[in-house]
Amino acid sequence: MLAGLRVSAFLAWKSIQRGSRGTLALTIMIIALIFVNLVFLPSIISGVVETFNTQSIDFDLGNLVIEPREGSQYIDGVGSLQKTVGRIPGITGTSPRIAAGVTYFYKGRNAASTLYGITPEDERSVTKIADSMTEGEFLSNGDTDAIVMGTTLAGTEGEEAGGLPSLEGVGVGDSVEVAYPNGEIRTYRVKGIYETQSFSVDTSAFITSREMSGVLGLQDQASIILVKTEVNGREEEYKTEILSYGVQEEVRTFQEKSGGFVDQAIQSFNIINAISTLVSLIIAIVVVFIVIFINTVNRRRQIGILKAIGIDQQIIINSYVLQVLFITTVGALVGIVLNAGVTTYLTAYPLVFPGGPVYPAVEASAILRSIASLFGVSVVAGYIPAWRIAREDILSAIRG
Amino acid sequence: MIVAEDLRRVYTMGRVEVRALGGVSLEVAKGEFVGIMGASGSGKSTLLHILGLLDRPDSGRVTIDGTDVLALSDHRRTLFRLNRLGYVFQDYALIGELTALENVYLTSLVRGASKKEYLDRSADILERVGLGDRMNHRQSELSGGEQQRVAIARALVNNPSILLADEPCANLDSQTSKSILDLFARLNEDLDQTIVMVSHEEWHKEYFCRVVTLQDGLIADVTECRKGPRPGGGE
Ligand SMILES: Nc1ncnc2c1ncn2[C@@H]1O[C@H](COP(=O)(O)OP(=O)(O)O)[C@@H](O)[C@H]1O
Ligand SMILES: [Mg+2]
Repeated sequence: MLAGLRVSAFLAWKSIQRGSRGTLALTIMIIALIFVNLVFLPSIISGVVETFNTQSIDFDLGNLVIEPREGSQYIDGVGSLQKTVGRIPGITGTSPRIAAGVTYFYKGRNAASTLYGITPEDERSVTKIADSMTEGEFLSNGDTDAIVMGTTLAGTEGEEAGGLPSLEGVGVGDSVEVAYPNGEIRTYRVKGIYETQSFSVDTSAFITSREMSGVLGLQDQASIILVKTEVNGREEEYKTEILSYGVQEEVRTFQEKSGGFVDQAIQSFNIINAISTLVSLIIAIVVVFIVIFINTVNRRRQIGILKAIGIDQQIIINSYVLQVLFITTVGALVGIVLNAGVTTYLTAYPLVFPGGPVYPAVEASAILRSIASLFGVSVVAGYIPAWRIAREDILSAIRG
Repeated sequence: MIVAEDLRRVYTMGRVEVRALGGVSLEVAKGEFVGIMGASGSGKSTLLHILGLLDRPDSGRVTIDGTDVLALSDHRRTLFRLNRLGYVFQDYALIGELTALENVYLTSLVRGASKKEYLDRSADILERVGLGDRMNHRQSELSGGEQQRVAIARALVNNPSILLADEPCANLDSQTSKSILDLFARLNEDLDQTIVMVSHEEWHKEYFCRVVTLQDGLIADVTECRKGPRPGGGE
């Protein structure tokens, strides 16, 4: 058995060493490209999920949100709730927000979107919006007539934002009128403009909650409290933790809050990915099959001779399987290098999606899965033609 | 030794039946150098294929060194060829991707010999067939006569009890043919190697201990030939 494998390896190696270089290189290249194709799409899908998660956490929702209990519009006693939650180990920030659907007016143009009332200091402890200013400054605690808005809402002179709310050219220092749902109208001076690349954030605006509470007549109340945790990915544990501190309000993770949006997108992506994987693997099967088929047909006579001089057909079949393993191994290695190239490029020049820039996230599991499936199909696709030729009658093989 | 009894082989090609062997019985004793002769199409190759376990007769019996080789499974027959037989083809049948030395030691590798063992032995045999300086050449770099010597070395490497050769000189000029026949004769005399060789050249007869002549798939004649020293031998 071991001697047999030694002979198979010997024959395989001589064939690789002394066979056609061109065919070998081409086959390896095709396997490498198939490998890239197998890894690439999942890495983009992971990248989309990753982007969505970090954008949600960093700019939109934090890790968890606390919302009013069933039937209420606002959370009451925000101050003491903030204190309770803030004491939980691992929670690094909380930011109460008041949300209102408003209409902005500027130079005869108008746009409708969400205006948030925030406590600037608290907001800084949760989101990174304050670090994403492209113009002017973020709000300070004492501001009452200042507003900061997203770059999409501020817009660019003369450009409509394709259906998104846009004031088409608001700049720092300009005055914007805001009409509240309760009929109140206020004028605010634009203090800063930010860009987060999350479109729901970039179409919103912020004022201080002190100002908004005044307009809406609220007292120690909020529409939502964003909660930031020390590490990402353990939202479920923190949710249980917060609830165990006796919080009566609704606590939801950012995934729950964004409501299946990503899940649905991922499902669609996964269908596309499954189709692409299937096609890639079929191509791999066909290529390996053809290469080994042509190889064995061309060596029909040689295979007959090997059997005639007493070499068992299994040794011959195994020598082809070993060649396939070699080709697949080198192909996968070249594929890993190519994929690293593509990943490096796309990290430097990321694809831009509505949720933000998407960086390919190559997961070890995706690589392992691709390698495993590639090896699986290659071995089968190599074995079959080798087996078919090797079991042929010796004399007809030798006659050619 | 070989005992073949009443071998029959009919090829069917569409509706036409070709009788290649019509009941051939033959015994080859240990140390004999038997020549099988006859016109083209008389069934020489068919007989040798059956004796070499490359084909099966439609009926008859073949016993080699006491083993009923027709009763063996395909796998066992492969092992039997590996361990007991050496086969030399008319057109050499070397593996083109391998050097002369590699062609020779390939079957020793299958037998699980150690590296030193198979390298020494193969080099030794190549030396004996006069290719000591050609061991690392590939088929494309060797002349016809040299290729046939490699094929003979390959057939001999496992000390086969029988060496079978099907017109090994058919593609060689007479000078080279003579050197190959001399080599066979030497192996037969020095090592007591049993050889069954197919030929249709009259002048080969003087090398054989015995000549079996086939005609239309039947043995037409058996002649004891050489009794004394072989031609050109003795030096
Ligand atoms: N594979 C085959 N299919 C059909 N007929 C064959 C085959 N091999 C040999 N024959 C026929 O069998 C007869 C004997 O062939 P063979 O043993 O090759 O003769 P020889 O070697 O003496 O020239 C010939 O008539 C040949 O045509
Ligand atoms: Mg013949």
